[in-house]
Amino acid sequence: MSGYKMVVLMKQVPDTSSKAGVNPDGTVDRARAKRMMNPFDKYALQKALEVKKAHGGEITVVSMGPPPALEIVVEALEYGADKGILLSDKRLAASDTLSTAYALHMVVKHVGKVDMVFTGLQTTDGDTAQTGPQIAERLDMPQVTYLEKLEVKDGVATMQRVVEGGHQTLEVPLPCLVTVANSAARLEPKRFADVFAVKELIRDKAAYDKKVTILDLDVVGANPDRAGLKGSPTVVGKTWKMGEIGGSCTMFEGGNAKDEVAELVGKLTADHGAILEEVLP
Amino acid sequence: MSKHADVMVIADQLQGDLQAISFELLGAARELAGKLGVKVQAMVMGHQIDKLPQTLIEYGADEVFVVDKPELKEYTTLTYRRAVIAILASLPRPPHIVLSGATTVGRDLAPRIAAYLEVGLTADCTELDVGEYEHKGKADPTKTGLFQDVLYAIRPSFGESLKARIIGPWKNPQMATARTGAMVPLERDLSRKGTVVPVDCAFEKSDFRIKVVETVRDVSSEVDLTGAKVIVSGGAGLGDAAGFKVVEDLASIFKDSAVGASRRAVDAGWISYSHQVGQTGKTVRPKIYIALGISGAIQHRVGITNSDIIIAVNKDEGAPIFQFANYGIVGDLYEIAPLLKAQFQAKMAGASV
Repeated sequence: MSGYKMVVLMKQVPDTSSKAGVNPDGTVDRARAKRMMNPFDKYALQKALEVKKAHGGEITVVSMGPPPALEIVVEALEYGADKGILLSDKRLAASDTLSTAYALHMVVKHVGKVDMVFTGLQTTDGDTAQTGPQIAERLDMPQVTYLEKLEVKDGVATMQRVVEGGHQTLEVPLPCLVTVANSAARLEPKRFADVFAVKELIRDKAAYDKKVTILDLDVVGANPDRAGLKGSPTVVGKTWKMGEIGGSCTMFEGGNAKDEVAELVGKLTADHGAILEEVLP
Repeated sequence: MSKHADVMVIADQLQGDLQAISFELLGAARELAGKLGVKVQAMVMGHQIDKLPQTLIEYGADEVFVVDKPELKEYTTLTYRRAVIAILASLPRPPHIVLSGATTVGRDLAPRIAAYLEVGLTADCTELDVGEYEHKGKADPTKTGLFQDVLYAIRPSFGESLKARIIGPWKNPQMATARTGAMVPLERDLSRKGTVVPVDCAFEKSDFRIKVVETVRDVSSEVDLTGAKVIVSGGAGLGDAAGFKVVEDLASIFKDSAVGASRRAVDAGWISYSHQVGQTGKTVRPKIYIALGISGAIQHRVGITNSDIIIAVNKDEGAPIFQFANYGIVGDLYEIAPLLKAQFQAKMAGASV
């Protein structure tokens, strides 16, 4: 076998560690927020790059989202991916995990026969960890979630996944889908040659268009009634700001540290004496 | 037949031991079933698991469906998927609600079942309830309407620092996974009676594509964060791995205490992942939670909101943790933590006189 055909699914998420676009109450203004590649997907990309390095092959990065999400697709090429696809379509708005998985599995089918599909365990915005297994179900592939390590030999992957209190080693014949945990190996820095190649590629429109494509639902043959809001069995019924739920914090400040601590323990004794008795020997 | 179908719990067992999450789910299911006027069902899969159904009954199940097969001795996605589908197919109608744990098993299995059934699934819920829902959206007229007894699957939405109620009344079962530690189990009642229903399951060859080579579990390395009465946690403010000595030192004076950590401290490699509290770590509910040098990002917050008392020490007075802690001190944790220890010890000495 001359290398493996791989797809890495990734998502652009708001960078909430940056102050930009994060309101004082902690809510996010997505239009103003900085954007980044979902951190878990970086671990997934690393795994695909490792397989490519060991065995050769081709990595196609697939994302779904509004046009700015193309940024992470191009970024993935700078890390060494070969091709990029962005599924972008207004009819995808308000997709839940089930309809997202439907749309993305159609893109994977559009890519053709693949040996391995990689994605991050979860995203840092939706945080469900559901889309990967739901895509595997639709592709009728076995899946390994919480993946840390992976080795492929003769079309069989030996993988290590995290379980409560330890880990598990599994053997799975290809094709399969894996979701990669953040305890796996970190994404290695970009190599100058790859970054330079992407710079060149962007200058050559014909070559760029062969490697980076924006597709819509019709091109991948997806039924629009099964995508977006229409295809989503769940909706957000109500939201609360976390700020509205919090209590008020009694601060001990202004004095020297020793007095502050003494005041705190005194107040704790007055307010919650029973709890203190329970936890102190 | 009652108006609604029942509430089903997918129990989680490891090597023949029911996991705590199963009892937590049964506790939540009892409450939902009470409001709906229906039964609590549970399903358990494995091999030589004769004792498990009765235990599930003692924790609140009315009816337990069992698939006991040698092929199910160890969990694999596809064999357990087949067993769950067999149990659901054996029912006269789909359950109203299906609950699973947000564990490495539940988060692996539940999405596949939801995709197979083409139903909604809400991940990592911290609260569950049932109630009315009116869908006013006109984008899809077939969905518009007023619905009763809808599952409210409530979860934090981390990207937005929001708490969200997710609903999907259009098709049953309405599915959700619940975070470990978020739901409260019932007291075990040894006299509780229920029905056990064995279910057969025919596997297909393709169900055996995943082979378990080895499972390594070191229970002694597990940190009992969920059971601890006091948790002292360290964050980025510690500055280095050695800082956890101060954290351990303060924790050591309490009964039933444990050391926790923020994601940033774990990512920095200062302490192992098993100590991590928050979004990608554990949900905890101690009597007292002491956060040393933790800024209180939303990801951390969601893991500790069930604590009775939160005490925060941080040198940045603008740190978000002071917005939801109960008591706060602005200052250097390396100065404050030893003083706290001394004060608590003085209090113990005083109390014992």
